[in-house]
Amino acid sequence: MPRAVKGVFVECDPSIKSLVLNIDAKSHNVVIADLDDEHLVIDERQVDNVKRQLDAQLAENTFNPAELENNPEK
Amino acid sequence: MAVPQFRTSINEYLEGLPETVLMRLYSSPATCLAIFRLQPPMAHLFIMTMLFNEKPLPISWIDSWVQDSSRLKQHEALEKLRSMHIIHETMDSISLQKTFRNSLRKAITGGDSNNSFGVPCDTEDKHKVDIKFLDEHANAQWELILHYMVGTGSGRVPNNGVLQLLKRSGLMEGHPPAPMRITNAGFQFLLQDVKAQIWTLLLQYLNMSEDLQMDAVEVLHFLFMLGSLELGQDYSLSALSPTQKIMLDDLRDYGLVYQRKSSSRRFYPTRLATTLTSDAPVVLTASASMDSAMARADGESGFVILETNFKVYAFTDSPLQIAVLNLFVHLKSRFANMVTGQITRESVRKALVNGITADQIVTYLTVHAHPQMRKAVPLLPPTVVDQIKLWQLELERMKTVEGYLFSDFKNGHEYDVLANYARELGVLVWENRSKGLFFVTKEGNQQIVDYYKRKIQGLK
Repeated sequence: MPRAVKGVFVECDPSIKSLVLNIDAKSHNVVIADLDDEHLVIDERQVDNVKRQLDAQLAENTFNPAELENNPEK
Repeated sequence: MAVPQFRTSINEYLEGLPETVLMRLYSSPATCLAIFRLQPPMAHLFIMTMLFNEKPLPISWIDSWVQDSSRLKQHEALEKLRSMHIIHETMDSISLQKTFRNSLRKAITGGDSNNSFGVPCDTEDKHKVDIKFLDEHANAQWELILHYMVGTGSGRVPNNGVLQLLKRSGLMEGHPPAPMRITNAGFQFLLQDVKAQIWTLLLQYLNMSEDLQMDAVEVLHFLFMLGSLELGQDYSLSALSPTQKIMLDDLRDYGLVYQRKSSSRRFYPTRLATTLTSDAPVVLTASASMDSAMARADGESGFVILETNFKVYAFTDSPLQIAVLNLFVHLKSRFANMVTGQITRESVRKALVNGITADQIVTYLTVHAHPQMRKAVPLLPPTVVDQIKLWQLELERMKTVEGYLFSDFKNGHEYDVLANYARELGVLVWENRSKGLFFVTKEGNQQIVDYYKRKIQGLK
């Protein structure tokens, strides 16, 4: 009898995937199955959480000129 | 699937109706014909074979007509028909719903006594109008609404019914008669083509009519009837129900029908109405009319300078232009005749989240580039254009699909049988045979489980 597990299928770059695995490493409740380099299955309750954390991580890596003007010291 | 947007939305509305309402809808031949026209081609084939066949059709026949490579389309077509209760299904056969069959037969062979296709006037109109006049009238009425939305009208305000509708559909906000403001949804609405705009408003009208205790069935009958009328022909009001006469007043405001006076006993459908359920294009496109509206408001077309360092200088004092720029530019200072700002990741993301696309932003900047910038080739700095597109890609970094992961198959054969079936249905998202894993969409899961029970357990 085959088994069916509910989840959300994610397709992304290897770089994004490693960030997701990183998030999972902290709590161990995100990733259900690691399929291959660009695909994995994650818990549906964690999707919004993962997207939020990804956004935050990517925002850290971008240059924001508006912020620079407000705090010239930085 | 390249199904035009407006079709999906009216179909979705119909699919959401309860069975009893649909049965009443199907009593009108004109409505059945319009619904027939809205179905995919494969569904046309199924309906036509069943139409004059008194006996139910064995499902195995349908299976044999469709090539294996097109199972997906067959599945979609049957699903559509099922959700609109057009077909009755038993274990191994299907048949057309009786009311629908009778009405569609009448629509095709004639013999309709309900006047559902409208009643042409039998007396000559003393003030007869031609098609050119109707086109102009329809354009003028529709553009009046668009101009009012972008605030570039000639000061004429559409009727109260239109204002209520714009507000209800979330395209504008504020309290009439105080001036209303266009919303983000409104800006996107302006970028759609006319037919999509009309359906957007008409679907809102349907929702609103239910609150006003108007019968949705009669409203739909009337809309579908309009779609089957002939352009340039005058029709009599005598066959319309009281509800439909009230509707006529509203549709006149949108430019879908023309009446010389509200007390007139005849009406003319315009091109906006007669193309409602067909594929024929409508004469004017909305973005063209918006461009002309913008150009006219400004006097000259270009006023935006975009520099390679993402800085934007816009020579305008029109609140509308500034509002549009504010959708995707981080505005910094405002002077008597210009505003300055900067395109940033945040400002573009805000626009993208609101549903504006990178291409729309680039098109807007191109169309409104200052004459000074027209000397440069390419017109816009490539760095900025690329970056805007990259920001859009960034938002789509993760593609997610809800569904179920299948694993632990007994052997390769079991995997193949199930994976092939999932592929035929078009619900297979990802597979890897050597790992013995595949992923199907949420909708497909139940069918796979049913299939497994039928095929594999049934064999034992």
